[in-house]
Amino acid sequence: MTISAERPVDVVAGAPSLPVSKVSWTQRPGWVSQHLGTAVVMGFLGYVFGHWLGNYIASGYTYVQNTGQNNIADTLALAFMVLGWLLGIGALNYPLLKIVGREPAEEEIPIKHWSRFFRFSLDHKVVGLQYVVGVLLFMFTGGLLAMAVRAELLSPTFHLFSADTYIKIVSEHGTVMMMMATSIIVGPLGNYFVPLMIGARRMAFPRIEAFSFWIFTAGYMVIFAALPYGGFPTGWTGYAPLQTQAGPGMIGYLLGFAVIGTGMIASGFNIGVTIINYRAPGLTWNRIPVFVWSILATASLLTLATPVLFVGGFLGLLDKTVQTAFYVNEHGGSAYLWQNLFWFFGHPEVYIMALPGFGIAGELLPVFTRKPLFAYKVSAAGMMGVALLSFFVWQHHLFQSGINPDMRPLFMLTTELISIPTGFIYLVGLGTMYKAKIRFRLPMMFVMALFFNFLIGGVTGVFLSDVPVNVTVHGGFFVLAHFHYTIMGGLLFAFMAGLYYWLPKMTGRMMNEKIGKWHFWTMFIFFNLTFFPMFFIGLLGQPRRVFEYASNLQGLNDFASISAFLLGVSFIIFAFNLAWSMWINPVKAPANPWDSLGLEWQTASPVPHDNFERIPVIMTDPYRYGEPDAPAFADLGVAVGSNSHEA
Amino acid sequence: MSELTGSRISPEEREYELRAQIGSIWSGGRLFIGIYTFAIASLVFTYFYLRSTNSASLWRTPGETAPVAMGYAIWICTLLVAFLANYGRRRLRAGFAQDFVVAGWTATGVGLLGLFFQIYILTQVPFYPGANGYSSMFIGYSIFNIGTLVVMTYWIETTTVRAMRVRRELGGDKPELSKHEMAQLFRADVASMVYFQGFIAVAATLFLAMFYWM
Ligand code: HEM
Ligand SMILES: [Cu+2]
Repeated sequence: MTISAERPVDVVAGAPSLPVSKVSWTQRPGWVSQHLGTAVVMGFLGYVFGHWLGNYIASGYTYVQNTGQNNIADTLALAFMVLGWLLGIGALNYPLLKIVGREPAEEEIPIKHWSRFFRFSLDHKVVGLQYVVGVLLFMFTGGLLAMAVRAELLSPTFHLFSADTYIKIVSEHGTVMMMMATSIIVGPLGNYFVPLMIGARRMAFPRIEAFSFWIFTAGYMVIFAALPYGGFPTGWTGYAPLQTQAGPGMIGYLLGFAVIGTGMIASGFNIGVTIINYRAPGLTWNRIPVFVWSILATASLLTLATPVLFVGGFLGLLDKTVQTAFYVNEHGGSAYLWQNLFWFFGHPEVYIMALPGFGIAGELLPVFTRKPLFAYKVSAAGMMGVALLSFFVWQHHLFQSGINPDMRPLFMLTTELISIPTGFIYLVGLGTMYKAKIRFRLPMMFVMALFFNFLIGGVTGVFLSDVPVNVTVHGGFFVLAHFHYTIMGGLLFAFMAGLYYWLPKMTGRMMNEKIGKWHFWTMFIFFNLTFFPMFFIGLLGQPRRVFEYASNLQGLNDFASISAFLLGVSFIIFAFNLAWSMWINPVKAPANPWDSLGLEWQTASPVPHDNFERIPVIMTDPYRYGEPDAPAFADLGVAVGSNSHEA
Repeated sequence: MSELTGSRISPEEREYELRAQIGSIWSGGRLFIGIYTFAIASLVFTYFYLRSTNSASLWRTPGETAPVAMGYAIWICTLLVAFLANYGRRRLRAGFAQDFVVAGWTATGVGLLGLFFQIYILTQVPFYPGANGYSSMFIGYSIFNIGTLVVMTYWIETTTVRAMRVRRELGGDKPELSKHEMAQLFRADVASMVYFQGFIAVAATLFLAMFYWM
């Protein structure tokens, strides 16, 4: 109806399905409509068209004729591929129809057909499930690249890959994983559960939400297009001048980040505005679940930090295509400019990859300890504090880059400051577990592993922020181990906790506990065995992103590599569990398998199209576990689902 | 959509959702300005960073300037769009919906003109893009600003056609109708749009100063 508030307010739960003839042709079940297939076709046509256009425009340019390499054609091909993909899936129907004032004709009608998972869907629950598949795709392909990296590092002298191929594999791995990490929790679990947890029937901007998913998938294609273009040699940080010298694969990187960045902005925008405006009556700021707080803090970083990355990538693309000189020192540009733009985004990005994990931990702990969340307000304030401070620390990535040495103490101080609110969040978790009778179910085990891993990851971060230490370990495996402990050990474990916890609500099926335990223990043990030695490898001086190393480090490297392969096996166990529990041998999930007080468990299963029959009214704060006669969290107005309010 | 209007939704719920929708347009509009601020701030940072670094003494060759007249023309178009949007909104508030539509179409035309200049100027620059910092910056900003002008023009155009549609569907623009849901949502959109246009006008002035006065 409006530029923004897109679905009509008056579609209610259980709305009668309309006769097919009333559904816009773009949404009808069947081939003649818009779906993944049309997106593929249009994406391909876009690619061909863009390539032709680029050649038409630029094949006469001197630099193209001199180098035989037409970056304009390569860039336009990928850009038009993204555009075609979005057109094909239907993401642009509504914005285009608006130009002629016809937006109401495109209102979405809820279709129940399975094909909705392959379409531009305005249902946040469908988008959430689409994101689950999307991020797993990133994770498994990125993981294969990691296996290749560890295989090469089995020997200091015998090589599987050339130095050049090796760095390109490392770069692709790092970039794909970082892109995945920006969305791994906000995308699937944030989109699915935030509306349910705040008692909303819809997202504020469902079209922008769906757009964020489909452009995320387009970003996947762009970043993988970097490989057939020859790869890029810069690592995930893309530093100039290497960036400037690199071949066309760099375009995949720069455009890929711009595309993924657009999706990050879109998803943060929608989810942040929804939290601010769509909270159910009675859900005041001191009652919203801590997971929602974490997503709000993340959304503020997604929306405000990512534009800087976007501009950084945009300027890099201009350097590559129209021959500007932003990052070229010899022509009045500066390689440091990229490093500043990148890290001004990059550090907030680090918290984009941490906060949602803490949110899940805070959300699950009370359920499995049957205790209220310890110091709720401190954790909410901690998250907002971290989000704010994260804009003021980026130079700690540049300590060794030749910045003015007088700046270093300042950024050392801010970095050490940010570990204080981070520590608060950590202590909130420990306080909740203190003296609790913990129920060791799978989600809880992943949360506890997170606390173990993040202790190591966070403390080594404080070491790194110390300039004298940084001087000795920067650019080596110590840093590598640090951020794998925080991102993989923190975020990825939290994601697994969230999946085991919430998949029963999303799919109506329980994850198998026994296979899950195998998954957990293998992942926990081999994660630590893979990355803990890397601290020592780093302290002993092995640099990152290099395929050769001192021969006395072979023992440690082989240990890490073999552990890494076994870590890979644990992901296969996970994939197997997913297939087993979801399709091969599904077991119906009870309405509230963990006896949670959370609002998301109290609406019916499967969740009705509009989430709640009546808009719920929130009566109290969310974590009143262990109080025998605590009032119900919310008044749902009608009896739905089977609620076990009593803890 | 009326066939989907459930009888089960209560008037209070309807009111609640309407307020949430209006609130979303309000906060979404502000947040959009926030996003744009960070993008534009990155460009401003780039300008001053390259200017103060002056690598290889190549920030700017003495006497080198981007096309002046066309630069001013683009700037004036931007200001005009912002002014017309604001003017239209004031007239709308005073009850003259027709004036809003006229102002909207005029602004759309002006926006398209600005867009034309913004593309044309790229063919007229007297320097190679990578000649120095200033030239890179000017080319980069110009290309970025094509996007900005598209957003500006798109937003004012779509609000204008929407004004016409709302008027048609409500059957006129009598003051009583202004309480209708559709009209309320429309006004929230207009307000966000006007703030955005004003914000871009300020940013355009800043860049004008950076490229031509400093
Ligand atoms: C207590 C909190 C933390 C502190 C004090 C801290 C500090 C640092 C410092 C100083 C560096 C720069 C090391 C160098 O390159 O020389 C660094 C690197 C890094 N940190 Fe952290 N960190 C913390 C938490 C985190 C978290 C939560 C994450 C992610 C979830 C993270 C991800 C990263 C990444 C990705 C890098 C490496 C970037 C690269 O060079 O590729 N850190 N950290
Ligand atoms: Cu950092």
